[in-house]
Amino acid sequence: MDRLSFHDQIYKNKLKSFLLLAIILAVLILLGYVIGKTVGQDYFFIIMIIAIIFSVGYIWFGYYNSHKLALASVKAKPASHSAYPLYNNVVEGLCLASGLPKPKLYVMQDNNINAFASGRDPKNAVICVTTGCLEKLDKHELEGIMAHELSHIANFDIRFMTLTAVLVGMIAIISEIFLRSLFWRSMGNSDDNKGQVIFIILGIVLAILAPIVTVLVQLAISRKREYTADATAVKFIRSPTGLKNALKKIQSEVPPRTSEEKHHYNKAIAPLFISDPFKRKISGLFATHPPIEKRIKILENM
Amino acid sequence: MVTVTTWIIITVVAIIAIFIYYYNKFVILENRIQNSEAQIDVQLKKRTDLVPSLVKVVKGFAKHEKEIFDKITKARSELMQSKNLSQKVKAGDQLQGFLGKLFAIAESNPEIKSNSNYLHLQQELAAIEDKVAYSRQFYNDSVLGLENASERFPGVLFFKLFGRKKKDFLKIPETERKMPEIDL
Repeated sequence: MDRLSFHDQIYKNKLKSFLLLAIILAVLILLGYVIGKTVGQDYFFIIMIIAIIFSVGYIWFGYYNSHKLALASVKAKPASHSAYPLYNNVVEGLCLASGLPKPKLYVMQDNNINAFASGRDPKNAVICVTTGCLEKLDKHELEGIMAHELSHIANFDIRFMTLTAVLVGMIAIISEIFLRSLFWRSMGNSDDNKGQVIFIILGIVLAILAPIVTVLVQLAISRKREYTADATAVKFIRSPTGLKNALKKIQSEVPPRTSEEKHHYNKAIAPLFISDPFKRKISGLFATHPPIEKRIKILENM
Repeated sequence: MVTVTTWIIITVVAIIAIFIYYYNKFVILENRIQNSEAQIDVQLKKRTDLVPSLVKVVKGFAKHEKEIFDKITKARSELMQSKNLSQKVKAGDQLQGFLGKLFAIAESNPEIKSNSNYLHLQQELAAIEDKVAYSRQFYNDSVLGLENASERFPGVLFFKLFGRKKKDFLKIPETERKMPEIDL
């Protein structure tokens, strides 16, 4: 057993993060190209230059700040030691067990049990839990959840997951805006030439495809990672009981019903959480999380 | 001739690289052990710092429990005087045992139990107990890491060649392995 080395996983996550950024860069520049062609030859070069500057800036900004965006999207607040002693102590203990630096801790308002980790590396990592998580779980269960999140931090899952969630989530928003503006434009003047029509169609296709592709990428993230993180969590605490009981509690919760409850979560960052915040009953390709029953079963057999 | 010299150079460079690799590997692993030792120390130190305040709070309500206060004071000074890690850990365990008894006394006294100072100290000391256990676990994991690296081939050759020494595992007492029955 050599639990201190996550070299393979770290390497894969770093490589995947790099490839992801490269793909996003390419997609953005392609998007700029399409927009440039749609608008017309006169502005093409200016638009391309803007697109390149924008995409590079976007990638650069995203790499250093995506965890802040993830935290802001759920309105997370810092959790000080004096206000949340148990939460802080549990994480500090697990950091000693795993040899990781202590991540910054945050709390978000929500009655359901959930948590996520984010950041670009263990030195710049954050953990955020829901208020429900702190209220409903006992110390051992909280420990289980925190150990799961720390495993995501230790093996650099957080980098790839956060970048995907935030940067890819943003592409969906941007293409949606593009689609909408095209719609209004085409409503306005209908007697443009055919060349433009082709690009408008292309633009629409791209705008529809972009989020679909991104959703697929996003779906590819979580499933296996959650099992690995569960297993690593057990290695950190040397007992599966806490995490298992916590997952059972999550399982017995009711899904958010009102749109206000759902509003706590941004769809794009849902895969970051330990369990699906929307508690959707989908399995297979379109599931963002592995079925919780299966995770409990695996933990029971440990 | 040129090719022979080239090969010799390549071989020498490769051997040097392997030497450096193993040397650094052992240094990193040993530093990790040292660091985890320091972590245990930090937690034990925090425990020694908090104990007097706890004793003071409980004394305010239960003066008659003189025996346990004396034991705690003695165990605390033993912990402060111990030099090496295994001594420290042993003294720390002893102190923790007496603290457990003190907590039991406090829990049976509703006045102490509802005292906010007591609650705060109790919570912090319970957290320290967990942290001591976790840092020991990490210490043992680090020792295991070095042991694995030093026993595998070809690491075992370099380990002997560099004249490095293995470290001892820390024994984890039975009481800490058990899951606590009372949830805090």
